[in-house]
Amino acid sequence: MGSVGLTLPWEHRISGAVRTGERRVEPSESRMETEQVAAEPSQDAAVASACLSGNLQGYEQLYRWQGTRMKNLARNLLGSPTDAEDAVQETFLKIQRSIASFRGQSSFVTWSFRILVNTCHDLRRARLRRKVQATEDVESLLPGSVPRATVSHPSLRMALERALERLTAHQREVFLLYEVEGFRHAEIAGMLEISETASKNTLFQAKRNLRALLEPPRSAGAGGAR
Amino acid sequence: MKISCEGRERIFLDGSTEEWKALEEHAASCPVCAEEVRAWKQLSAAAAELRNYREAPALWARIESSLRERQNAPVRGRFWRHLDLWPRLSQSWQMALAGAMVLVLGVSGSYLYTHRTPANSPDATAKLLKSSALAEVERTEREYTTAIDKLAADAGPQLNSETPLMANYREKLMVLDSAIAELRAQAGENPSNAHLRYQLLAMYQEKQQTLEEVLEIKR
Ligand SMILES: [Zn+2]
Repeated sequence: MGSVGLTLPWEHRISGAVRTGERRVEPSESRMETEQVAAEPSQDAAVASACLSGNLQGYEQLYRWQGTRMKNLARNLLGSPTDAEDAVQETFLKIQRSIASFRGQSSFVTWSFRILVNTCHDLRRARLRRKVQATEDVESLLPGSVPRATVSHPSLRMALERALERLTAHQREVFLLYEVEGFRHAEIAGMLEISETASKNTLFQAKRNLRALLEPPRSAGAGGAR
Repeated sequence: MKISCEGRERIFLDGSTEEWKALEEHAASCPVCAEEVRAWKQLSAAAAELRNYREAPALWARIESSLRERQNAPVRGRFWRHLDLWPRLSQSWQMALAGAMVLVLGVSGSYLYTHRTPANSPDATAKLLKSSALAEVERTEREYTTAIDKLAADAGPQLNSETPLMANYREKLMVLDSAIAELRAQAGENPSNAHLRYQLLAMYQEKQQTLEEVLEIKR
């Protein structure tokens, strides 16, 4: 692999463009930002350059910095901690394999999460195929009706997980990346290779659908949403 | 700022901080909007339930050892493992890629054979491209990259669509890109190494064909 100079091609772009435009707009107090969100561009470039030079410490830095977040996303996408660990491991191997093609069009973290999302996509597909082959009784694996729940309900997490299963893959990914992992739309757009507007629209649809799945039907008339 | 019930959904979609503030002021005297805002915010709050950032104690050790194993493998074999270490790359594609490699290496072999002067020994120096051949190869590479850039731009929207087929194509292109990057890096250090240059051309060719296939599907 070629040597890496001191000036990385993406350094300028990152320091210039990253996170200038979009600011997460929150319905006031509703959300706590995860502390990893505001990724330092310089940290991003340093980790990328260590990985590019083939230094395993670079990968370890990436893992220490984003590993739990990667695993959390993978677990939410795959539904199993074991599969999530496999996905994270495979993602690191893919990063190592294709690091030379990283051009810095996005941040290194964004690029890594793109690989992770694609890896989870494939694992889900493969697992679904296995399930279909293994048993005709797939219906029993899918929730016939999603339990209703409110925030105070202890089974909220399970209800939300089951409701997420019923969204499209895109809606699920955008919801998890934005609402759970705290990425911005600009970052999500880079990860899913969609526009920022598409990311916003998808989040909106995801939340609309989740609401319909989780809220009791009595509110149907009260909405007046359209 | 004055907000009415009609503005609510748009603010949910991409309202500014100011607009959210105005909506909440409106909701204070509008039960319908109050309920909608409450439910909307509740989803964000509920998302916190899906955060579990506990350390997985053995995971890094496992990842590190697999990275190390991969890293210590000899460079020569690295490309071939690009093919077989992608379990989800379909068998036919692996065959196609491998096939393309064999074909091109065969062609380059015979090219070298016919272009070699009898005085050359069959050692490494024989595998160096003469400057005229090198210029030709470089011209071809430029043609490929120009064609590929154009194709990639055309195929972009199609490639981004959420079908399993396109996911496979994206993955295949990623393998090719990483192979190309690796070969380019090696060729950069060793510009007249014929072997590398022909491998690189084979990869460009494969990428071009792949993008063309993607565009075919569109029609
Ligand atoms: Zn109202």
